[in-house]
Amino acid sequence: MKVQPVFPQIFIRVLLAGCAIVISSVVFVSLRGFLSTSVIALLYLLVVVFCTTLGGMISGIAASVLAFFTFNYFFLPPLNTLIVAHSQDIIAMFVFLTVAIVISNLMGRAQIRLEQIQIREREASHLFELSSSLTTIRDEKQIAEILAQNLRDVFLAELVEVKINLDFPNTDCEDVHCVHIRLPENAALDDAYKQSQVLTTNRGILGEIRLWTSNPSLTHSESRLLKTIASQAALAVERAMLANAENRAKVLEESDRLKTAILSSVSHDLRTPLASIQAAASSLNDRSITLEPDARCELQSLLLEQTEHLNQLVGNLLNMSRIEAGALKLQKQWNSLSDLIDTAVEHMRSQVTQHILEVDVSEDLPLIQVDAILIEQVFFNLISNSVKFAPIGSRIIIRAVVQDPEMMQITLINQGPEIPEEHLEHIFEKFYQFPGMKQESSTGLGLSICKGIVEAHGGKIWAENSSAGLTFGFTLPIEKSGVLITLEEEMSNTEVEKRKEYRTYE
Amino acid sequence: MSNQPTILVVDDEQPILRAMRTILGQHHYRVITASSGAEGLALATASMPDVIILDLGLPDLDGKEVCKQLRSWTQIPVIILSVRDNDSEKVGALDNGADDYLTKPFSVDELLARVRVALRHHSLMQGAKTSIVQSGDVTIDLAKHVVTKKGEDVKLTATEYKLLAYLASNAGRVLTYRVILSNVWGYGEANQMEYLRVYILQLRRKLEENPRRPRMIITETGVGYRFIS
Repeated sequence: MKVQPVFPQIFIRVLLAGCAIVISSVVFVSLRGFLSTSVIALLYLLVVVFCTTLGGMISGIAASVLAFFTFNYFFLPPLNTLIVAHSQDIIAMFVFLTVAIVISNLMGRAQIRLEQIQIREREASHLFELSSSLTTIRDEKQIAEILAQNLRDVFLAELVEVKINLDFPNTDCEDVHCVHIRLPENAALDDAYKQSQVLTTNRGILGEIRLWTSNPSLTHSESRLLKTIASQAALAVERAMLANAENRAKVLEESDRLKTAILSSVSHDLRTPLASIQAAASSLNDRSITLEPDARCELQSLLLEQTEHLNQLVGNLLNMSRIEAGALKLQKQWNSLSDLIDTAVEHMRSQVTQHILEVDVSEDLPLIQVDAILIEQVFFNLISNSVKFAPIGSRIIIRAVVQDPEMMQITLINQGPEIPEEHLEHIFEKFYQFPGMKQESSTGLGLSICKGIVEAHGGKIWAENSSAGLTFGFTLPIEKSGVLITLEEEMSNTEVEKRKEYRTYE
Repeated sequence: MSNQPTILVVDDEQPILRAMRTILGQHHYRVITASSGAEGLALATASMPDVIILDLGLPDLDGKEVCKQLRSWTQIPVIILSVRDNDSEKVGALDNGADDYLTKPFSVDELLARVRVALRHHSLMQGAKTSIVQSGDVTIDLAKHVVTKKGEDVKLTATEYKLLAYLASNAGRVLTYRVILSNVWGYGEANQMEYLRVYILQLRRKLEENPRRPRMIITETGVGYRFIS
């Protein structure tokens, strides 16, 4: 808002009053024969009210004084002089002047108050909008953006800068731990004036607002508004920080609870294979007795089996803890799903000896961006799960289809026992068991690892009892490849073929 | 035996060294051990082993660094030992010239197989460079640029041949995606995995008996490919 110099404003207001009085006087003088003096006085009061309404208190008072003289000059005998003949008229004139001044004073004040109230109301509705848009936001950057935009709109600032310190209570705001918003981003600041306001709560300084405006200083109400906005913003930032802290606490609590559960469940699972390993190894090591060849073989294969089981268990635990800690860094690369499944199946051949494993996956499926090692783990877990629960000699079938242009759907069907409907969605939970489930050699983690890996890739996993058998399904997103490969194009002129031709002519 | 191959095992865990000494010793290899990267590098220079088995996660040097230093002066085959949670270091070491890897825990069969492949590859490298690589029914003549399957010429595009020739001339080694892409396509396209996937599929279709159970170009999941000769 540009502040106009004070003098011309007063001049304009007085001029307004003068004009009003001159025009009304011309009219009143022409009506002199028809109206009594007291009616004219009242009409002058009306003009004073009119001037006050339009031009404020100054106009009102100017009009009062002018009306006082013109009334005297034109209407009080002797006419056309400033002399007053009757002492009664003198009283009436001064009463007129007093009433006129009081009216303009009262009305002027009422007007000023109205303006103030309107400004307050604008501020209040503004603050209300700001606070309601800030309440739902939990992200410091968004808070800073909203704040900057808001300040720019309210103060018509040429440049707004908002800094929020993320690394509270560390107060020196390095760029790494700071949200820094400038609006507009590249503005020149040559002839603007800077105002600044820190964002503080009782925890300390959380950031700073800086404004560059064209006015040298803010008005009283503007600086009050700036302070209020700053304190609201500080509260919003504090709320965001508290919410983040609460989230972290929840995650920690959850991971702590999980660790306790794992520890109790796993210490048993770990000890079982360890016990057999120790027993087998110590009897093999015992020189006091000679073991029969059969017994020796049996102990040795027990050792191998149990170490393999232990290895799987430790591997699962490791994967699980990485998924739980959110430390699963996906090494995504373009992969051919058929190659990935073929390789996984090849690696599992030695373990799948009593089941028929069929892969019905086309080589021509689009390439997908996945972490091959982790997706291979999903297949390991699903296949070894099938091997554990499906009857010997039954078939395990893996299929993959493009479900829609954005999703690949992979299913593994085995002939394992049906899982009661109410347990289907829970079997991907850690250590989930249901009555009638075979528990031997299950770590209770395999399926939940699958879930963690698939979800980290942006897919979902489920199980269902279908007519074909127990079906595990999961989806993986298909991203568009940037490269269009045209192999046929290259076929026409190739080095290899040219060389062959030379050879024929030699 | 004086001509028994020497294997240098570098690992900071004593039980692994103990097991390696016993197992490899039983299979008539001469075993020397080091328990740190610096000691390993010094021993490699001093005793010129035929194969180096290198554990990742040594206390002093990271595996990538050891490989880089070794490769600056020797082509001795290096087999990496890694655990499951440091896949990226494993790939880093393979990118920097390691030949093969084993994931702990591993079986003795696996270990011995890898050592045999490494020794064979090494002796091939040292001898006169062979220009003919044989894998199953497929013969690749690197000098004449001719590929035959069961005696019949196989038509390959220029890029397919270039890829196959690169894989075949490094038979037995695990070649990471990055290494293959930068050697066959040049550095500019080192991140264009899609090409590699499609060309490997093409090669398998043209050369493998059963492209779905490849015996020649093997996928090393998440790492790269290995050509078996």
